[in-house]
Parts: sequence; structure tokens; C-alpha cells
Amino acid sequence: MLVCALVLAVGLAAVMGILYNDFDGQMRKELSKEALYLAYGVEQQGVDYLKNIKDKNSRITYIDQDGTVIYDNKADAAEMENHSNRKEFQKAEKYGVGESSRYSDTLSEKTIYYAQRLKDGTVLRVSGTQDSVLALVGNLVLPLVLVLFLMLILSGIMASVISKRIVKPVNELDLEHPEENQIYEELSPLLSKIHRQNREIQNQLELAKQQQAEFSLITENMQEGLIVIDKYTMILSANSSAWSLFRVDKVSQGESVYCLDRAEDFRHAIEQVLGGEHAELILKLNGSDIQLIANPVVRGQKTEGAVILLVNVTEKLERENLRREFSANVSHELKTPLTSISGFAEIMQDGLVREEDIPKFAERIYKESQRLLQLVEDVIQISQLDEEKTSYTWEPVDVYQVCKNAFESLKEKAQSMNVHLYICGDSMKMEAVRTLLEEAVYNVCDNAIKYNRNDGSVSVFLTQTAHEIQIVVKDTGVGIPREDQDRVFERFYRVDKSHSKEIGGTGLGLSIVKHAVGTLKGSVILRSEEGCGTEICMKFPKTHVE
Amino acid sequence: MIMSKYFERQLEELHVQLITLGSYCEKAISLSAKAISAAQNEEMARQVFDTDRDIDAKEREIENLCMSLLLHQHPVARDLREISAALKMVSDMERIGDQAADIADLSLYIAKNATSIPETITKMAEDTVTMVTESVDSFVKSDLELCRNVIRNDDLVDDAFNEIKSKLADMIYGGNLDAKTGLDLLMTAKYFERIGDHAVNIAEWVEYSITGVHRNNEHQNN
Repeated sequence: MLVCALVLAVGLAAVMGILYNDFDGQMRKELSKEALYLAYGVEQQGVDYLKNIKDKNSRITYIDQDGTVIYDNKADAAEMENHSNRKEFQKAEKYGVGESSRYSDTLSEKTIYYAQRLKDGTVLRVSGTQDSVLALVGNLVLPLVLVLFLMLILSGIMASVISKRIVKPVNELDLEHPEENQIYEELSPLLSKIHRQNREIQNQLELAKQQQAEFSLITENMQEGLIVIDKYTMILSANSSAWSLFRVDKVSQGESVYCLDRAEDFRHAIEQVLGGEHAELILKLNGSDIQLIANPVVRGQKTEGAVILLVNVTEKLERENLRREFSANVSHELKTPLTSISGFAEIMQDGLVREEDIPKFAERIYKESQRLLQLVEDVIQISQLDEEKTSYTWEPVDVYQVCKNAFESLKEKAQSMNVHLYICGDSMKMEAVRTLLEEAVYNVCDNAIKYNRNDGSVSVFLTQTAHEIQIVVKDTGVGIPREDQDRVFERFYRVDKSHSKEIGGTGLGLSIVKHAVGTLKGSVILRSEEGCGTEICMKFPKTHVE
Repeated sequence: MIMSKYFERQLEELHVQLITLGSYCEKAISLSAKAISAAQNEEMARQVFDTDRDIDAKEREIENLCMSLLLHQHPVARDLREISAALKMVSDMERIGDQAADIADLSLYIAKNATSIPETITKMAEDTVTMVTESVDSFVKSDLELCRNVIRNDDLVDDAFNEIKSKLADMIYGGNLDAKTGLDLLMTAKYFERIGDHAVNIAEWVEYSITGVHRNNEHQNN
């Protein structure tokens, strides 16, 4: 608009200048012609000719040689002053024609005089007035403003239409596929650049998505719970393990971590970690022990949040506990026979034993050391089983034969206790580690004999199905009280603590059985009634699958 | 935008503070419940008193936060409900703390005099602890079902109180119980009953902040 107005103004000025000059020249020409005609008329008819001219458009003055006005068609000649000092008059006197122009007082008009000397020396002067530039402009202002206004409106409409038409295809650009657009050639570099950037953004987005997917895949498949919180304790992200550890089924992002657990230790740990310190503690959640490891996330000098790792350590703690108990038990069990041995030896050393008693003492020492040996052997065996050796050789084993062998080696013991042994079943084969199976069967039978009554019996029943072999060892012994039935497989656990020494045994027998059966991928079930006997049922798969 | 984010941040802060206060209450009441049946309970009682002080301080803090939120942010609708419910809840929680301290105080005398605590009281104490825990839980998880459950359970505690009352009366009458200790035990039971009521109040306010309808008003309107 501004440009438009400016152009208009400049244009107007130029046009005015040119037009004005043109007008000026034309006027002078007309005046000179008019003067020429009039001069001719006056020369023919004298002053009367002038008086007959009715046209008052231009002023005609007839001046005598001395400058006195003879006639003027617009004023009274008598009252007019002497014109001898007028420029056009003087020029006319001198050169035959004279011309001059003067501005009126208001400058709004310009008068052009043209004088022509007649043959008799008088001068005829014709003058016309012309509007000056300013007046011209003044006259033109209103229409001009009107035109300007119209132009403004018009140009406004035009501009909007044109710009719309130009912009329309630009607006309709498909920026998703910039290269497919048919549009101004000037835009194609821009479009190809957009295309390139689009591709770049897409690549990066995909990369980010992939990383995100990888990350969540990793965290989702983690057994440990992972929680990321911000410095206001709000949960930023957490994996499903964390939810399940806290028994929360609602995945609530943007909630405080205190919603999961508000126990004091937990809160302290969170406060500590948000204070910028590493925190660790064991939480008791729904009966399981969960180790919480929290590390602050530090950016610059400030803690921005924390990463909390939750590990279920229930089993680990339990196992640790078991191991501790085991070593305590082992040392205790080892100490008992050793104390006796060293005690007997000490008495003998001091010579306090009579000669005839020495064999008795030696026998005691021998018995105790045998017990010790047995114990050490059992411990070695069980620790071997603990190591879970993979170098076991799996071979077809005849279960019937194994049981028979076990009875063979236990025959003497059984006879001494007056216990009868029976095997019921056929020869049947299964894939197993021979030593382990022998160990298991031997120990079960051994127990069945040891804890039997006089004139009791131990029966082994062998049955098989398509995939399984079942060995049931039934005795008529003392049985195991109900409350102890769960614990007899524990290491060093004994039902009757006071009598254990008489019967012998290390308290490791059933524990070894359980371990061996487990390694053979079988299962063991104990059924017992106090005073009536015990039935131990072992089941094994016939074929071994790695 | 910044303003609303700040507001949200403060609301979250309020939520966290309420959870903290709730857990203080749980601690106070479960400790005092243990204290009445424990022999060496001076340490427990002292802890309850400490926790009660913490509760009072936290209550003041939350009240200030609520006030500042109300005055500066002019919350509406759900936010307003939550803040006003929080204001009501903290006073209930504070009362729970006070009563837990009272129970701890009584437990010191009871431990010296009573030979055995009637099982009903221990059971009632456990029930009350569960109610408080559940009411705080219902707030934490915005669990409508759970807070209605708490409101229903109030009858259990009320019945237990009546039972204890008649039992104690019988015991005192039969000469099995020192009257003074009997009264102390009765007071303890009464405090537990009151704590149960406060837990119900909390649950009701949780319900109000979720649904926008408070039980008492509902009754009036119907």
C-alpha cells in the first residue's frame, strides 16, 4: 500500500511537471497566434475591431507607442497606468514581439503576456491566465484522493487474490512427500531439503524407538525390579517385575514411589538416595526379602532422581541360612566323636587305664573313629552332590539289581536287628546314574532297618508305568511324628535327638536321598505314621532328558 | 502453563506428604497396639510419643500447604475436593496419633498391673491397625472398594468394644481383675474404638475426594 501511494505521488509529480510545461508552451503558442490575428484585425479596422470582440476569455490590451493604454477589454483604459515599463511591451517595441509571465499575488495563477508591435508602432498585448502548479495540484487533489482510494481498495483486493493464488499451492504442499509436489521450480531446492530432513528425522525416530523397545524389552525381561524416580519421588518408569514385587497391578506412572511402599525404612532409603547418597536395604514385602539398591542420578551438582533396583533375595538368604546351619552342624557333629576319642586317648596316655581295659577303650576309640569316618564320608558325598557335577554317566540300570545289592550289603545289619527283608517286583531298567541310585536306595533301606523294631520287616515294591519307575520302601518301624515329617530331609535333622547315638547314623542319610533323587530328576514322598512304620516312595523317569 | 505445572507439582507434594503422615499414623498405632501386650514396653511407648510429635508437625505442614494451595491457586472441582478432603483427613490422622499416644501412656500402667490382657483387646487392636492401614491404602491407591470396606468394618470394632466392656465388667465383678486396671483396659479399648472411627472418617473423605459425594450429605439429601 505504502509503495503504491509512493509510486502514485512520484508519478503525479512527474506528470504534473511535464503537463505543466506542455500547457505552458501551448498557451504561449496560442497567445502568439491570437495576437497575430488580432494585430492583423487592428491594422485593418483600428481599435473598433477590438471593441467588437465579445469573447472575454483572454485579456486584450491595446497600448500606444508611449505606453498609454488605448483599449482594454476587461478594464477601463482611462484608469489604467502607463504600460511602458512592462517587460513584454519593451520587448515588443524592441523586437516586434515580446513575451513575459508573472505570478499573481496568491501564486495560484500565472499570467502570460504576449505583445505584438503593429506597423504603426502601437502594441497589442494578449494575455491569458494559467493555473500554477500548486493550483493545478489543488484542483487535482480531490479526484486524486478518490483515485488513490479506489486504487488502494483495488490493489488490496488484487493483492489478496494474487497472493492467495500464489500461496495456495504452497499451502497445499504435501510435506510428508515433498518431492512428489508439482510446484514452482524455485521451491524445489527447499522441498528436496525438507525431504532429506524428513528422512533424517524418520531415521532418528526409528532409531530412538528401536532403542526404547530394546530398553523396555530388557527391563521387562529382568527378574529384578527396576524403578526410576525423579527428585520429587514421582515414578518415571518401572518394569513389570517391580510391580509384581510390590503386588501392585495398576501401572501408575507419575505417582509417588511412596504409593508402592510407605514403610519407614523404605522412606528413609528414598530420602537418602535423593539426598545424593547410595542406599541399600533389605525390605520385607509380603513374606519375601527384597534387597533394595538405590543409586542417585546426579546431573551437575544436583540430584535429579534415582534408580532403584529390587532383587528378590529370599532364596539367597534362606540358602545362606541353611549353609550357615550346615557348617555349624558339621562342626558340632565332628566334634562329638573327636571329643570322645581324644578323651579316651588322654586317659590311656596318662596311664589311668588298667591293662585289661585297654581293648575295651580301643574298641570305643575305633567305634568313634568309624563314626567320624562315616560322617566325613557323608559330608563329602553331600558336598559332591551340592556341586552338581555334570560329568555323571547316565546308563541303563536294573533297579531290581540295585535293590538286591543294597539288601546284600545290609544283610548282616538286618540279621543283627532281626529284621526281614523282602523285594517285590521284576527286573526293570531305567536310565540313571548308577552310584546315585544305589546311594539313594541304600540309604532308604538303611534307615528302614535302623529305625525298625525287633522282628520287623522292610519291603521294597517295584512297579513301573510306561514312563516311570516307582520304588516304595515300607518298614514296620517307629515311624516319624507328623510335625517332623517335613524336616527329616534336612541335613543333620534327627527326630529323636537323645537316642541317635545308639542307633548311629549321621543325620545326613535322607538328605543324601533327597539330593540324589533330585539329581536323577525324580521325586520322593514320605508317608509315615508314628509307631506303625514309614513308607518312602521314590519315582523316577525311565529315560533321561538333558 | 508454568503456573499449572507448579500447581500440579504442589498437589503431588501434598499427596506424598499425606502418604507420609499416613505411614506415621500406621507406625504409631501398630506400636501402641504392640505396647499394650508387651512386657518391656517403655521403649515402644517412647517411640509412640516421638511419632505423635512427628505427626503433629506433619499435620501443621500439610495444613499450611493446603492453605497456600487454596489461597494462591484457587483450585476448582476435583482439585478443590482433594485439598479440602486432605484438610479434613489430616485432623483425623492427628487424632489417631494423639490416641495412639494415649494408649501407649495407658500401656505403661497396664503392663505393671495386669497379669494377662484379654484376647479380645489384642484382636481389636489388630483389627483397628488393619483399618487404619486400609484407610491409608485406599487413599494411596484411590481405591473406592477398599475405603468402602473400611467403612463397613467399623461395626466389627464397635461390637468388639461392647464385648470387651461386658467382659471386663464380669471380670471385675468376679474379682479376677483389679478394678483400676480394668478401667485402664476399658479406656484402651475405647481409644481403639475411637481410632476405628477416625479411620472410617478418613475412608469417607477418600470416598468424597473420589466420587464428590460425602456420606453424611447423601443422607441429608435423601
